[in-house]
Formats: sequence, structure tokens, C-alpha cells
Amino acid sequence: METSEEVPRAARPVRCEARGVKKAFAGNPILRGVDVVIPEGGFSVLVGPSGCGKSTLLRLVAGLEEADEGQIFIKGKDVTRAAPRDRDIAMVFQSYALYPHLSVRDNLAFGLTLRNTPRAEIDQRIREASDMLGLEKLLDRLPKQLSGGQRQRVAMGRAIVRRANVYLFDEPLSNLDAALRAEVRVDIRRLHDRLGATSLYVTHDQVEAMTLADTLWVLNGGLVEQSGPPLEVYEKPKSVFVATFLGSPPMNLFEGALTADGGEVFVEGQGVRVRADASRHTQLTPGRKVKFGVRPHDLVVAGEGRAAVGELHVELVEALGFEAYAYGWVTSAGPRVIARLAPEHARRAKVGDVIPVAAELERLHLFDAETGRALP
Amino acid sequence: MAVRLFFAWLVAVVSLVAGVASLGGCAGTGRPRVVLWHAYRGKEEEALRQVLAAFQKEQGVDVEALAIPFDAYAAKLEAAVPHAHGPDVFIDAHERLGSYLQNTLVAPVGDAVPPADVATYDPAALAAATVGGQLYGVPLAQKSLALFVNDKLVPQAPTSFEALARRGDLPKGSYPVAFESEGAFSHAPLLHAFGGRMLDDAGHFAATGPEAEASLAFLLGLRRAGAVPEEPSGALVSELFATGKLSAVVSGPWFLADAKKAPSYRVYPLPRLRETGDARLRAFLTVELALLAPEGAKNPHARALARHLGGLASARLRATVGKQVVATTAAWDDPVVKADRDLAAFHEAATESVPMPTSVSMRAAWVPLDQAIKKTLRGDASPHDALEEARARFNDAMKPPPPSPSPTPLLVALSAVLVGLALLAVKNAREPGFPSRLRASLPAYRYVAHAAVVVFVLVVLPLVAGALTSFFAGTRNAPQYVGLTNYVMVLTARGGPLLGSGSFWLTLLVTVLWTVVNVTFHLGIGLGLGVLLSRPLLRLKALYRVLLILPWAVPSYVTALAWKGMFHRQYGAINALLHVLGAEPISWFSRFSTAFSANVATNVWLGFPFMMVVTVGALTAVPKDVLEAAEVDGATRWQRFRLVVMPLVAPALLPSVVLGSVWTFNMFNVVFLVSGGEPDGQTDILVSEAYRWAFTRNAQYGYAAAYAVLIFGLLLLGSKAMQRLGRGAEQGAR
Repeated sequence: METSEEVPRAARPVRCEARGVKKAFAGNPILRGVDVVIPEGGFSVLVGPSGCGKSTLLRLVAGLEEADEGQIFIKGKDVTRAAPRDRDIAMVFQSYALYPHLSVRDNLAFGLTLRNTPRAEIDQRIREASDMLGLEKLLDRLPKQLSGGQRQRVAMGRAIVRRANVYLFDEPLSNLDAALRAEVRVDIRRLHDRLGATSLYVTHDQVEAMTLADTLWVLNGGLVEQSGPPLEVYEKPKSVFVATFLGSPPMNLFEGALTADGGEVFVEGQGVRVRADASRHTQLTPGRKVKFGVRPHDLVVAGEGRAAVGELHVELVEALGFEAYAYGWVTSAGPRVIARLAPEHARRAKVGDVIPVAAELERLHLFDAETGRALP
Repeated sequence: MAVRLFFAWLVAVVSLVAGVASLGGCAGTGRPRVVLWHAYRGKEEEALRQVLAAFQKEQGVDVEALAIPFDAYAAKLEAAVPHAHGPDVFIDAHERLGSYLQNTLVAPVGDAVPPADVATYDPAALAAATVGGQLYGVPLAQKSLALFVNDKLVPQAPTSFEALARRGDLPKGSYPVAFESEGAFSHAPLLHAFGGRMLDDAGHFAATGPEAEASLAFLLGLRRAGAVPEEPSGALVSELFATGKLSAVVSGPWFLADAKKAPSYRVYPLPRLRETGDARLRAFLTVELALLAPEGAKNPHARALARHLGGLASARLRATVGKQVVATTAAWDDPVVKADRDLAAFHEAATESVPMPTSVSMRAAWVPLDQAIKKTLRGDASPHDALEEARARFNDAMKPPPPSPSPTPLLVALSAVLVGLALLAVKNAREPGFPSRLRASLPAYRYVAHAAVVVFVLVVLPLVAGALTSFFAGTRNAPQYVGLTNYVMVLTARGGPLLGSGSFWLTLLVTVLWTVVNVTFHLGIGLGLGVLLSRPLLRLKALYRVLLILPWAVPSYVTALAWKGMFHRQYGAINALLHVLGAEPISWFSRFSTAFSANVATNVWLGFPFMMVVTVGALTAVPKDVLEAAEVDGATRWQRFRLVVMPLVAPALLPSVVLGSVWTFNMFNVVFLVSGGEPDGQTDILVSEAYRWAFTRNAQYGYAAAYAVLIFGLLLLGSKAMQRLGRGAEQGAR
């Protein structure tokens, strides 16, 4: 007999793959040729703005929609045309989609009963899942008698007891309040690690994306814009879209051109002039039109050996306690600019101040003005 | 304040309306005024209009003529005359005299037929208007059955009924003669020819004995020889005659319009019957009379009007314009009247007819004789047994009400209920805070007051009146308190076997079976179609939905009559279909199983759209993602339906099932119109049985009311039980 301490693991971690997947609804292309690979036991997060096709891709993997073109593989098997129940997947829905007429216990048991799992085995798995999620006292309640957070945990439990090959999450935290969201986020990641299953997670929340993912897939307009470990994507965005989509507050973006000055190359425009780091880029041709971005974090008050790159006219100060952000402009025709203020500056800063700001050189992001791609 | 204003407004409106109405009443010319009721239509109404115009001009009296629909005629008279709201003079058939006399709705004619006039009327017509030596009406016209022949097939007057009926030279699908052979009214000519009669002089059922049996045997012989079509409804007979497939029809003046659709026809008096030594076939004679209501009899102008209606000038107009077979003998000397061949034939037929008895017991005699005829024709009983059974039924229906018990127990019970209610009210009123609560909710009472009054007047009062009726027997004018006797008789099957034919308990069993079978089909088909219509990929969904709701949109009696036609033994679509499939035609209404099935088929057709609509509505409330979750969990389409969809829509369907059960339990239209209780009342349900007690068995309203109260109680218990069951199932699911 197993003890509840023992961790129930997925049968065996499997690989999940989408190849060249296209899908249109009523002639409207939603996915335009997407390739996504989730290695055995990996936790991949699909992230992107509304309408980018991330939920559609998830539903294609689940088998709730059928791809127009391309293939879906689970465990090396082509399941593109297979019904959901032949894919051995479990899914957590945004609305939780609990069976309203069944108790928590029966909600958990539903999928197992359908698969003719022996009663003892079902009871065992329900016990394990409710231990893990703290559902013991809720087992005899109906979904309508539960709070949002409790429902969310039941939805998780329903997926867990299945011990499926692949776990799919469709924005499972978006109906929770902020505090609960942070808590459950941690739980999800921990569960994934304990279960060792392959997971695909859809969100538009970049904090979830950054914190949960092994691999981040940024989707835009039905195409994968960039993929990789979250920090890598954050630090080395391959396009203006990725650069501005990830990070909060969003990256400051200026338009300008490269200029040569005494053997060095500078990026200059909209009241800002920064030296480009030649060691990181190979194509710093002077005169080239570029967009350049600095994350608010990397735009700090000048001084102590840091040369100013421009002057920020403060319009608003947002103090968060451990740090603060100053919103304003460098030239009145330029973009809104956000800079981080250390706590000592934050206390003094007020609207109307003009603060000289400096940028971390190595954190400067350069993009081609026309293509929006990062400069090599 | 607002209440007072409202009442002031109400009083103002009422007095205004009353004022206008009385102005209208006084706004005449000051000439005397007589109110006349009739049920004439078309030519007869036109003739009456001309007659009245002449009378008004001649006598300087205003006549307000009101055409009342025939079906509502007696009921309206019974409601209006006792309160002096009714007519002074009304035209009606003489056979209702007995009932009208019982309710004192008519008075003797007095000088409307002065001694000098007596000789001007047909003696048979006068005899029909005479009850207990008193003359109660001015004879106007006579109606009886005659023989319509297709004179292409029958060029000369038939020498005998047999000569007409036993001809072998007709093509297949044609019949020598047709009449509504399954009804007692149309059978009467045969009965009379054999020397039988329906009622004896004391008003007892008399259609028994060798004469009546011989008449039934003769009819059976006609049917077996294929001389008359089966299940001959009026529409069918008219259709066959118009298309030349009938050489003769026995029918009344009302058939003239249909007969005119045939290429050519002729009317003869009914022929003689060779088998009875050339006795004539003698139909029942109905004499239309101008009757005087008690108020009218006191009014000389009303009596003058009645006299005028029967006079020679009026008779000529009514004969020439209204095509009436007038009872004023001198009118037949008029060359124009004489020249009317059809009219003359009807006149001759009338003189050979038997006046319909005026006794009220006729009301209880028709249906038993109908049933005996049908039973004999089906071969379910010999003429002797069938007629004896009819007599037993007649006697059962005519059984005099039991001696009146003391009404004290009822009064005590009623007082106890009232005292209980009063005590409850007092107890509530003495609760602390009651006055302030009452005051606080006074405005709310004001808002619901009118609705409460309407519900009380339209729902509660009739219900209570109906329930109280069940404690009485006898007629409306002479009700007799019988306590719970009606209930006891209903529940003990009137002393017969508890599950005997026509007993309450057997009918209840049939009703329960009827309800269960119907609701099962309604639910099954409605649910199936509802699910199909809810499939997102279905094309032309709106079209299907409209087509499937159509059966519901058509009035149920129209549908019922259409289905009745489809189940006709010889000409129905269903037997035609069976024929194509190589099966034998089924006589649908001759056995319980087939008649019940025919009723069920009709009612299922009527009832499934409701369940379908409810299902479609309930299905939209099933969340899509819950179904997807089930799909991901591994449920097949059927498992999703059974384990997720059904439990979620069931709570929404339950009230419809309760409602559908109540409707089906009381589905009078289908049972009454499709099988009509055939065979032999076996397919009757409780509500149609109640109807028969009230309207075909000597007007036993109290007895029928007891049925109604029992039906109400059963439905109340049934709905409660079903709701509890549903709630239990819901809790069980938790």
C-alpha cells in the first residue's frame, strides 16, 4: 500500500510537439504556422497579447479543435486527428469547468470512473490529490459551495488524479485575486516538479510566464516571435515586440540613428545620446536608423561615475516602497519615459523636477528601425 | 388617499357606463319592443329578417332579433331567461321542450295560437308542441331525414329500401346507400320501420326486444353485404356523393348544400322496407317552434309576434326565401312553394315521420343506443346483448338521486373551516408587531389587490362553486343536497365491480397509462430533437425548428380531427400506408389497443414540440467548457449526454414534465375527438368520462363535479409527489 507521502508521478514524462500548425476561424487566420516543442517533463508557457493564438494552440493540443494544417505529436505519436480522450491529457480551464451537479469527490473521480479505474485506486488517488491541495474537508461539497480559490484547487486536483501524459493549463489563475494568484502560482510550479509531467501553460500575465516557465514561447499574430528560457528571452529580446511585451513597467523605446564620434559609436535620438557597446554588436554602421530601448530598471539617476544620457522631466512619481518609478519625458516630442528611482531619490523626487538619468550600457537594446529585429 | 381617489374614479366610470347603457336602452322611439332569439343562418335568417320587417311595419312594434350560435343556445337560454334578461320569443326545436319546461323557460302560447288558427297548422307539428295537453309553441317548420339519390344511378323513385340497397351493378368503391349508420338518430328510421321505438310513453328506454333487435340485425346485414360504407362521417358521405360513388344518402335538409355539389340529385321521402311488410322508414321529426319565455307570454306584443311568425304570409316567405318545410298547411297551396321539388319531398317526408319525444330522458338514451349499434356492427355483441346493455346504461344514468341526507355535517365542516381560518387570522393579528407590519405593507396590498380580486373571481370562486356542486344532484332549478353520495358512488363504481367497464378505477388506470405513455414519448422525442437542434454544426436549424414547432401552433382540435381522418378504416392515410406495405387494414377504433394507440399518436404529435422547445432552452444553459472538460476527461458523446448534460437539464425539465403530465391527464380534445372513447368507452379518460356524465347522461352535473374534484385532487397529489421525487433525485446527486 502506498503512503500519502509518496509522490504520484505521471506514467512517464513524454514529449509534446506541434509542427507547422495552422488554424483559421471563418477565414480568419489565428495560427499561421507554429512550431512548439515541449521536452519530456518540461514546463512551457505560451504568452502573448489577446488574439495571438495561444489559447487556440492549447485547444489544438487538447484536441478540442482540429488543426487545418500541420501536426500535433504526443509521445511521438501523431494525434492531430485523435479525440481528446485518446490523447491522455488533463486540462485546467480558466473557468475551472467543474461539473456543477457533482460533489468535489465526484468531480475528481469523474475521469477515472470513465476509464474504469478500480474503486480502491480512485479513492487512493483522490486522497493523495486532496492531501496535496488541502481539499480533504471539501470533498462532499458542491462546486457552488466553494470559493474561487477552492474551485481552482479542485480543478487542479481533477487534473492531478488523472496522472496524464500532458497537463494543459488555460489561464488558470486569471479569475483569482492578486494575493491568491501569487500563492497558487508557486503551488503549480511545485506540483509540476513533483509530478514530473509535461506541462503547457497559457497566460497573458508575464509574471506567471516568467516565474513558471522552463521555456517561454512568445506568440504574436499567430506566429512564434521568440522562444527560450524566460530570462534569456527577457534579457535578449529578438524584436521590439518581445522587448516591449515582457517586463513591467514596459521598456523605454526611443527612435534615433547611429552616429560615429571619435572612434566610438553612439545611438542618438529624441533627446537621448548613449554610447553603443561595440563588443555586443557587429553591425553598428553609422547613419543607420534604429530604435533603442532601455528598461526602466536600467535607467537610473546619473551621478557617482555614471554619465547622464538625458534629462527626465518628471510628471508623476509612483512609489512602491522598495523602489519607485518616475514617469516623464526627455523631449516633449519624444515618448513617455520611465526611470527607476532608488528609495533615497524617491523620497525627494517631485513633479516638475528635472533629473539627469544614466543608462546601463550593457542593458541597451538595439533594433533595426524598419524590421524591428534586434541588431546583430 | 390614493385608494379613495381610485374608488372615486371607479365609481365615476361605472356610473358613466351605466348611464350610457340606460340612454341606449331609452333611446328608442317609444314603441313597444320585443326581443327574439334564433339560431338561423343564411337563407333562413334572410327570410326571418323579411318576416320581421313586415311585422314591425304592420304592428308598430320593434323587434330586436338576436342570432345565437346553435351550440350555445340552450346554455344561454338557461342562463338568461330565469333572470328576465333573455328573449321574449325564441325559436327552437320541440324536443328541447321537456328540458325547458323542467327549468321553466317556456310558457303556454295562449292567444298566439287562438282556436281559429289551430286548423291552419300541420296536426303532427301541433302534436309535437303539445305537452300534457298544453300547447307550448307556434309550429314554424319541420325537419326530418329524407332520401337523396343520384338520379344518374337511380333514375326513378326506388320501390323499396331493399331495391336500393341490394343492387349488384355498382362499380368497386361505390356504395348503394349511405347514412350515419353508427348513430342512433340515423338508425331511428330502421327502428321505427321494424316497429320499435326509443322511449316508451313513461320515458323509459324502449329500444329493446325483438323489433329493435331485428332492426340492428338488418343494419348488420347491410354492413356485411357492403351496402353501406364503414365509419361514415358526414364529410366522407358528402365526398362520396359528390363524386358519384353513392347512389343514395339518407340525410336531412342540411345535406342539400352538399348534394348540390353532385352533378344531379333528387330528394324523395324515405322508402318502404320490404322486409317489414312494406312499412315505411320513419325518421324522427323535429319541429321548430316559436316559443314564449315566461316574461314574453305576459307581453301581448310578444304573443302577436309568435302568432305572426306562424302565419301564412310568414310561412310563404320562409318557404320561398328560407327554403323551410313550413308547418302552415295553407302555404303549400302557394304555386311557388308547390313548384319547389326538394321542398315538397321534404314535406312529404315530414308527414311520414315520428315526432321526437320531448322527454328529458332522451338525453340519456342517445349514447347508450349509439354504443349498442357500434358494438353490434363490430361484432362484439349480439343485438340482444348490446341493447340490454344500453338499457342498463340508460337506467344507470337515470337512477334517481338518493334521498337527501341532513346537510348538517357539511355545514358543520364548512363552519369549522371558516372558524379555523378566523382563529388563524386572529392568532396572526395578535402576534407582536403585526399591526405595524400590516401598516408597512399596506402599499404592497394595494398593488396586488386588483390581481387578487381577479384571481378570486375567475379562479377561486368557480373552483369553490364546482366543488360545492359535487354535493348536489338533480337539475339546476331543483338541486338536491346529497352529501358525499356522489363521491361514494364514484369511488364504489356505482355498486358494480370496482374495475368494471366504465368504473372510476378502471378509467383512472387508463388515464394513468395514457399519461405515462404520452409523457414518456413527449420527453423522449422532445429531448432527442432538442439535442439534435442544439448541435452547432446543424444547417437550416431555424427552418427545422419552425417545422417542428408547427404541430404545437395548430389548434389541437384541428390536429385531432385531421388524425381522426387519417385513422379511418377505409379512407384513412394510415391504412393506405399499411396497404402499400402489404399489411391488412386495421379498424383502429374497434379495439382498445389500436384506439389507444391512435389517441397516443395524435397526442404525441401535439405534445413533443413543447418538450423540444424546453430542451433547447435548457441546453443553452449547459456551459460549453464543462462539456469540454468532460471530453478531456475521456467521456464519449453518449457519456457526456448521460453524465453531464442530462443531470444539468433535468431540473429545468422537471417542471415541464409536471406540466405536461397535468395537460395530458386532462387532454380532453384528443380523446373526445379521435377515439371518442371508442370502443365502448374503453379509451375514455377521467375528464372525458366526467364530460359524459354532465352532458350525455341526463345532465348529472353534481356527479360530474365529483369527478372533477377527484381529478383536481389526484393532479395536486401527483404534482407534489413528482416535485418531491425531483428534489430527492437532485439531493441524491449531491
